[in-house]
Amino acid sequence: MIRNILFKKQIIIQKIRQFFREQEVLEVQTPILQNTSTSDVYIDSISLTINADIGIQSTQYLHTSPELEMKKLLAQGSGDIYQICQVFRNNEYGEQNFNEFTLLEYYRLGFDIHQLMADMVNLLRMLGIQDKVYQLSYAQVFSQYANIDILNTDIVSLKIIASKLGLSTDFIWIEDLQMLLFVHLVEPKLKNLPLCFIYDYPKSQSTLAKVRNKVAKRFELYLNGVEVANGYDELQTKDEYQQVFICENNKRKQFSKLISQIDVSFLSKLSKPLPQCTGVAIGINRLLTQINEIKI
Amino acid sequence: MDKYSINQFKNGLKLMLDSNPCSILNNEIVKPGKGQVFNRVKFKDLITGKTLIKTFKSGEFLEGADVMELDLQYLYNDGNTWNFMDLHSFEQYSIDGAIVSGVKGYLVEQDICIVTLWNNNPISITPPNHVILEVFDTDPGLKGDTVGTSGKPATMNTGVVLQVPLFVSIGDKVKVDTRINEYVGRA
Repeated sequence: MIRNILFKKQIIIQKIRQFFREQEVLEVQTPILQNTSTSDVYIDSISLTINADIGIQSTQYLHTSPELEMKKLLAQGSGDIYQICQVFRNNEYGEQNFNEFTLLEYYRLGFDIHQLMADMVNLLRMLGIQDKVYQLSYAQVFSQYANIDILNTDIVSLKIIASKLGLSTDFIWIEDLQMLLFVHLVEPKLKNLPLCFIYDYPKSQSTLAKVRNKVAKRFELYLNGVEVANGYDELQTKDEYQQVFICENNKRKQFSKLISQIDVSFLSKLSKPLPQCTGVAIGINRLLTQINEIKI
Repeated sequence: MDKYSINQFKNGLKLMLDSNPCSILNNEIVKPGKGQVFNRVKFKDLITGKTLIKTFKSGEFLEGADVMELDLQYLYNDGNTWNFMDLHSFEQYSIDGAIVSGVKGYLVEQDICIVTLWNNNPISITPPNHVILEVFDTDPGLKGDTVGTSGKPATMNTGVVLQVPLFVSIGDKVKVDTRINEYVGRA
């Protein structure tokens, strides 16, 4: 039985590698040990103390995603790249969340999010997922499933909606309320759309994605109602990244969370902006579970 | 009453939700891609029996519900009230017809039922998973035809109607699964 599961996993990984080989996307490996923790408000790094016995003790962090290291390569002219690696996140627990999991992260130069979604469909087809593809904007799913005009509703009105549903309204930022209502009203409905991309998020949820026409150029992939991938039209300049890091750190401060050092080694690589590119992180374990209907 | 934080939620915990006592069926952690952790909690409303799904943010609190479950023996029905007894304390409970109505058809004298009390008042009754009922009325039996048919309706002595195989006839005693209202076998 275990051999059977391992075999299936191997086949899927081989197909992924074959897919990228055919498209001339290079496989890379980047450092897992980092000098700085993540600045993402709702992701926590796992810290380690290293080199204590040889008198040069320091704190390092396991990467929560290979994103910044891969962007360093993109900034230096690597071209299209992908990576399959283990990532580590603290305070994650549940049926779908683990402290360690396998991520496939890849970047395509010159693509916009719609080209990247089409590329992902090709990958999913190659892995045997043949379901009809649904593509809906964040505003569409909210209007369809919750009758809320999510892009034009302010935090006060969202609090009224949440309170009518008997949900918590104790939020400082609008994005948290948007996510609460998404998780409560929309996500359970996505089980009916086996292969569904949701794109164009509210700009308050832009994180490291570009904002165009008042929406963040991001998408998420849901397979049978389970979020499997998260893609961005990536920010390009040093100033944009610096601004996001500072902003996220300010939010962490309000939650009394560990404040991350600004990753200067990353910013220093951006003296020349990143090329126009889109990138996506895919949870491999969740993907395998959806393909094989078995727990890996 | 005690307050419970989302982090203490576990299946079976009884809590107050929308001023009704509820029991937790399932507590699932959901984490949006770049968002904070929420808990999607499935409850059973102990008064209406309906299933509810609510989403909570980590760190929220809910008030516990003063709910108790007792194993009581069903004694008899006198018009509008159904009478039960605690076999240890011999205390008797008279329960209103409205609370019994959903399970009336499964109440057999001497059977032990689970009676749920909220603030010491009965709010629901769970009959045993299997009860023995007597067939009060059904079409005459057909011999031999036991496979490939969906059976026929039969009315039990308690008033409940369910599908039984064709060979079952009036006066037979049958075993019934009360959770799905299905014939299990001859008793």
